[in-house]
Amino acid sequence: MIDVIRIFGPLFVWFATFSAIYGLQGLVCSEHWPALGLTLSHGRVALVGAWLVAIGIQLGLVAVLQMRRVAPATGLAGDVSIWLGWSAVVAIIWSSFPVAVTSTCG
Amino acid sequence: MSPLRRHRQLTRIWQSDPGWKGWFTTVNHNDLGRMFMGTAIVFFLIGGILAMLIRAQLATPRSAFMGPEVYAQVFTMHGTIMMFLFAIPLIEGAAIYFLPKMLGARDLAFPRLTAFGYWCYVFGGSMLLFAMFAGIAPDSGWFLYPPLSSTLGSPGINSDFWLIGITFVEISAISAAVEITVTILRYRAPGMSLDKMPIFAWYLLVVALMILTGFPPLILGSVLLELERAFGWPFFQVAQGGDSLLWQHLFWLFGHPEVYIIFLPAAGVISTVLPVMARTTLLGYAWVIAAAVALGVLSFGIWVHHMFATGIPHMALAFFSAASTLVAVPTGIQIFAWLGTLWKGRPQLKLPMLWIIGFFATFVIGGLTGVMVAVVPFDWQAHDTHFVVAHMHYVLVGGFVFPFLAGLYYWMPLLTGRKRFFRLGETAFWLVFVGFHVTFLAMHWVGLLGQRRRTFTYEGGHGWEVINLISSIGGFITAIGFGLVIIDIAVNTVFAARIRRDPWRAGTLEWAMANPSPAYNFASLPRVSARDPLYDDPALPHRIARGEGYLGDAYKGQRETLVVDIATGEPLQVVVFPPNTPLPIILAFVTGGIFLGLLTKLYWMVPLSLIGVAALMALWAWGLGSRGDDVMRDVGHGLNLPRAATVPQPPGWWGSAFLLLADATFFASLIFGYAFLWTVAPNWPPPAYLEPGIIGPLVGLAGVVVAPFGIRLAERHLRRGGTMWPGVALALAGAAAMATAAIMAVRAAADPELHAYDAIIWVIAGYVLVHVALAAGMSIYATVRRYAGYVAPDRFGEVRIARLWTDYASVVALIGLAALQLPGAVT
Repeated sequence: MIDVIRIFGPLFVWFATFSAIYGLQGLVCSEHWPALGLTLSHGRVALVGAWLVAIGIQLGLVAVLQMRRVAPATGLAGDVSIWLGWSAVVAIIWSSFPVAVTSTCG
Repeated sequence: MSPLRRHRQLTRIWQSDPGWKGWFTTVNHNDLGRMFMGTAIVFFLIGGILAMLIRAQLATPRSAFMGPEVYAQVFTMHGTIMMFLFAIPLIEGAAIYFLPKMLGARDLAFPRLTAFGYWCYVFGGSMLLFAMFAGIAPDSGWFLYPPLSSTLGSPGINSDFWLIGITFVEISAISAAVEITVTILRYRAPGMSLDKMPIFAWYLLVVALMILTGFPPLILGSVLLELERAFGWPFFQVAQGGDSLLWQHLFWLFGHPEVYIIFLPAAGVISTVLPVMARTTLLGYAWVIAAAVALGVLSFGIWVHHMFATGIPHMALAFFSAASTLVAVPTGIQIFAWLGTLWKGRPQLKLPMLWIIGFFATFVIGGLTGVMVAVVPFDWQAHDTHFVVAHMHYVLVGGFVFPFLAGLYYWMPLLTGRKRFFRLGETAFWLVFVGFHVTFLAMHWVGLLGQRRRTFTYEGGHGWEVINLISSIGGFITAIGFGLVIIDIAVNTVFAARIRRDPWRAGTLEWAMANPSPAYNFASLPRVSARDPLYDDPALPHRIARGEGYLGDAYKGQRETLVVDIATGEPLQVVVFPPNTPLPIILAFVTGGIFLGLLTKLYWMVPLSLIGVAALMALWAWGLGSRGDDVMRDVGHGLNLPRAATVPQPPGWWGSAFLLLADATFFASLIFGYAFLWTVAPNWPPPAYLEPGIIGPLVGLAGVVVAPFGIRLAERHLRRGGTMWPGVALALAGAAAMATAAIMAVRAAADPELHAYDAIIWVIAGYVLVHVALAAGMSIYATVRRYAGYVAPDRFGEVRIARLWTDYASVVALIGLAALQLPGAVT
């Protein structure tokens, strides 16, 4: 099962982190955010921070995939999971880069 | 034993009952695969006729052919039938029929579940057909947006037919997905490691996992909308804390992956058929697997691109626009892998290849218009116009129907045992191809000129008249083409000559058997050592027929196959499949009582049917397992393997694990919906949050801790030869505590019609109650099985299954009850 988890894991984590950033953006734009005494600038910082953390998680995952402890039983699972690990890094950088460049709630 | 004698013995063991009875009692994947595909094609014909009615209506301005009410039902049913009753079931049917053959197994993991899924599909589909012929069909479009589909916009029973009928049909999809996942992972030929698996199986593994995680949000949405329609629980009513956008989120969390759920199996067909047509092997096998997985997972992250016109903030638009463009990369990898395969091979222009070329031409155009609508400013212009309808048809017909027709012609010898003689297929291809492009190229054009979709007529003078007429003429040419395909297949099936084995000289295992395939698939199970076993060992089919593989001895008249290690494919256990039985159709019929009771508002039918379902499921599971006799089995080649029913994680454990994956997605969607309303819905906070108090959380927490501990204690005592009762009693006490906490939450929110928050409390608490009851029921069942001799110190797999469900119930109780009580605790 470890081979299957290796293959599906990296992009699944992308989906989770990407959705979490989207959820955070929803929270920043909701009435709960000012109720906590926070401004949109704080929101921007939180979003960019979340983006960087997400990139860090994906990079960490690529590192984990290369550890011997989670070595796959087949070479194919090893290769494919590493490719997909790097794809997930690119995916989180690309799909969440709007946190740095677009208006938050407009 | 001679091959002929072996064939006769195995046929006697595996074949369905003779005569009409066999239709209702068969659990054989050959029969059920054909039945699934045949029924799906019938629905395709019905959906096609509806399409022709639409084109007849739109051929001229101010047409009086149909009124708006009928038109709304016709376009809703066209979309619903094509998506839910044709495409998905055809994929299921193809997977059910071909997978065991390709993987080197004798059947799917859970044969009775296959049959149950089929009958749920037939009964659910029949409900929708009945509604259509009675003139009370759903009429809010195939994505049933509220408030149009709420009681306000659709006061009749029309939308209920959709919500209840489609949910019934989705049982079939979830059943098939569990079945396909477990089969691919564990029911393969010995030696077939993951890197030797046929590419089609990889695609279907991705698709099955997508169904398990993609369908539950829609099932949840349907449940919530039906609860709103039937009992006034206001999940989508803005004035009472609901939000109609919640439906759009839940629908498209399903709906966008659905497009890839439909496309990926077709891509699997291309990756299988194209190399054979090009007389070579697939270029970039590992890259294609990576692309399929990437496409499958990425497709979940782009659901909001169907909601660009709903007024969401720019940043969210940019997220999903960026993510949408990402899917072009893995799609491109696959397209280039296929082109590279053609380049390195020596392509033959046979009929399957014609359809594949048709796919390339059509799907690439559909993909490019997909990138266009992924760009927000363009989408705002094209939204809800015929441009989007044309794009969708290019993707779905080009990306699904054409490849499946290639596959149908490719695998026809296996299905019918006949060689194609009458050459109507080529004419049919050109009619469909030309007709399709005439219809939908024109539709792009009229969409760009501003014609809205889902309007039953239009005025002249906009420059749309000639284009619509051309589109309609193209539509009728396409229909004639599809008609000719069906005639071609029917005529060749009945009249053409018999065909030899492996007519295409392909390398995958399904061609190692006679045409048409026998009921048992393989006379003995082969050991494979290459990705294309027949290229690697051309004599393999003869050795299989001579019984030189595993399980070649028709032992005790049992239906046997092997379970293997997921990664290496080394054989681990022997499975004995159940015989033919009417239980699946009876269970589907009784399950239908639940849905029918809800639909007709005869609510007394619901608990009655639920009791029936529970009793039948107990009966279903009773026949499984072993009382300890005949534990080890000599499977051949000096290998002695245990029976799968006697191992700690029997097939039922794996089936439960993947079913729980779907269940967990349902629960996660529910929590997402709650968080969405809390964050976005205008009329929040509710008048009052739940007061958590001390007793409720403490009782719930105690249950969450005690129940998993109890079932573990029961297993421990059992394995030491002791009694299970103390542990089971603790597990039941834990379950009772969790149930008490859930009931306390429901009692605190006495009126679920008041506010969406109260309604959410009822749904989450209800979900916890159902799972606690299931876990408790399984613990009791395992204990009863202990007394009957099926559960023993060396056979505790069933207790492990109960443990899995108990752990799940405890986790959802912890999260669910915490989610309900958190807002009240912090405010």
